[in-house]
Amino acid sequence: MARVLLENIVKRFGRVVAVDHVNLEVRDKEFMILLGPSGCGKTTTLRIVAGLEYPDEGRVYIDDKDVTDLEPKDRDVAMVFQNYALYPHMTVYQNIAFPLMIRRKKLGLTKADIKKKVLEVAKMLKIEDLLDRKPGQLSGGQQQRVALARTLVRRPKVWLMDEPLSNLDALLRLEMRAELKRLQKTLGITTIYVTHDQAEALSMADRIAVMNKGKIIQVGSPDDVYLRPSHVFVGTFIGSPPMNTIKCVIIKSNNEYILQCPGFQRKIPSGEVAGVRDQQEILLGIRPEFIDVYKEPVPDGIKAKILVVEPQGSEVILNVDINPGGEETLLKIKTKYTVKYRTGELIYIKPDWTKVSIFDYKTGKALA
Amino acid sequence: MFRGIWRRSSRKRGRSKKAIIITFLLPELILLLTFVLTPIVGTFVISFQTDNGYGPDNYYKVITETSPDKALVLPKNIESLRPPPWGALIHNIVWVLIHLPLVVFLGLALAYLLHEVKGSSIVKTIIFLGMVIPMIVGGLLIRFMYDGTLGVVPLLFKTLGINSLAKTWTNYPQTALISLILGSVWLWTGFSLTVYSAAFESLPKSYIEAAKIDGASGLQIFFKIVIPLLRHATIVVVVMTMLWDLKIFDIVYVSTLGGPGGSSNVMALVMYLYFARALDYGRSAATAVILALITLIPGAWFIKQVVKSGKEKR
Repeated sequence: MARVLLENIVKRFGRVVAVDHVNLEVRDKEFMILLGPSGCGKTTTLRIVAGLEYPDEGRVYIDDKDVTDLEPKDRDVAMVFQNYALYPHMTVYQNIAFPLMIRRKKLGLTKADIKKKVLEVAKMLKIEDLLDRKPGQLSGGQQQRVALARTLVRRPKVWLMDEPLSNLDALLRLEMRAELKRLQKTLGITTIYVTHDQAEALSMADRIAVMNKGKIIQVGSPDDVYLRPSHVFVGTFIGSPPMNTIKCVIIKSNNEYILQCPGFQRKIPSGEVAGVRDQQEILLGIRPEFIDVYKEPVPDGIKAKILVVEPQGSEVILNVDINPGGEETLLKIKTKYTVKYRTGELIYIKPDWTKVSIFDYKTGKALA
Repeated sequence: MFRGIWRRSSRKRGRSKKAIIITFLLPELILLLTFVLTPIVGTFVISFQTDNGYGPDNYYKVITETSPDKALVLPKNIESLRPPPWGALIHNIVWVLIHLPLVVFLGLALAYLLHEVKGSSIVKTIIFLGMVIPMIVGGLLIRFMYDGTLGVVPLLFKTLGINSLAKTWTNYPQTALISLILGSVWLWTGFSLTVYSAAFESLPKSYIEAAKIDGASGLQIFFKIVIPLLRHATIVVVVMTMLWDLKIFDIVYVSTLGGPGGSSNVMALVMYLYFARALDYGRSAATAVILALITLIPGAWFIKQVVKSGKEKR
């Protein structure tokens, strides 16, 4: 059992507020990912859980025990660093054994016990052959495995990871993603993982906390943050390419709400959007993959002109202008690459209106 | 830029590559030959010159000399545990034994305590001042520091009521050597502090943070992580300090001139006294060769370490 609770955490560096009233509950055995652009405070939040930084305000609880003022060593957490931080003067074996060796007396372990535990974790991570080497003689992927082994050897309550995969090459990163997720599930350790890579977050997390400018914007399952972003920032940060946003106006006429956008307009069925006003400016959010493309005119289709074609292998990204003749309004569309598309060609598009998000233009918050 | 020249030339002909190597090496070789190699060989030759040809006479005489102001070793005084003089060579060794550990410890401790402290650069600069002033001036300052009427050290002991130490330290055989050694700690700590501070700066913070999370206490981090990681800095400090201690001259020259009665004499001063006072160049050269052979020991060890760490990195 290990539950982590952050209550109203504030951390300032000089005049900069790095973490701004963050509240977060990480459930037992959960894989929680803190996702956000660089400088959003996600690493600082992680370091506060680790005890490497102390918050200016707020409390940190692990298993309902207030650990806010405890030192890292008294929190029973383990952390994987971005650069792995393997001690260069020790062998792989000594590195992995280090957390146990320095508390040998406290834990009541013999050297044989430690050896058994180190070998066990080395086997789990497939690094038994490397135990006599020094970190300098290992490849990046091997160093990563040693770093993981060092954190897992003492079965911590909470497993913290600070962008652990960012120093690996693309192929290895994909491989490690799956392996990390499997390890986390088999061992059942509560995990907090920091990354700026949205694909990593979507593929690994049980829940994602999206952060920006020191604040948590949305916490939810990968599906939640992807399909139901609570803020325009979440929509445009997650997804590749990110969500399209079009500035539109809502107009009320004859008890009906009409969405007036550049290049098209559309009636909003009653009950679909609550809390909108006449003349309200909004941002319409449409994910590139939720748009159908037609070569011929279709009912309710929006006319668009192709500006750029970006083939991606099996898929293609079309950059189109949906307001040809008027003020240029760009939209990215991701679709199957079964038909040939040409620059300058006129096409007809139909967004999947059930998967469209509407945000207030001023606050950026999602409207119902 | 030079690499470009290399490549182009190697593509042409092997001979022109050789010419380039020689062109670049020649000025350096001429300088080395004139100012390093010739004097070394010259000193070596002179050290074997005697009134009737060549022989090891000078070495024999220098080593067996018993007059306190020129002796290298005075076995009787050492055996009977009498206060100095023990001989210049022994004084040098004592110097290393006391000075080296103090300098390493102080430099390391100060660097560890001062890193990440706001305004620590001011403190470091003040400590480093000892390195900036010429050692001749440093020697004079030491003399004043231990002066019975003016000096801060005797004054301190006077205030503490220890009257036996409230005197001019450099005037008594019991205290002359130790006063110079302690004074040189003040002059040289700036060096080790600077080396260790630079090493601390380049130490990735994540090692220490990882150790903290792994459960290590402050002392465990210091001994198991920090000290091993600062190994290279320690090698530099130890070797440079040893060499400085073995070659020490200026401080002694201006503060005591090896006295009283040779009780603070050192090897380099003996060499100088043979040369400038006794005008005995043969013995002066012999002393110089002995001193050079002794300093070769830490020097060779240092070079071995550097080569080793170079291989490790590769």
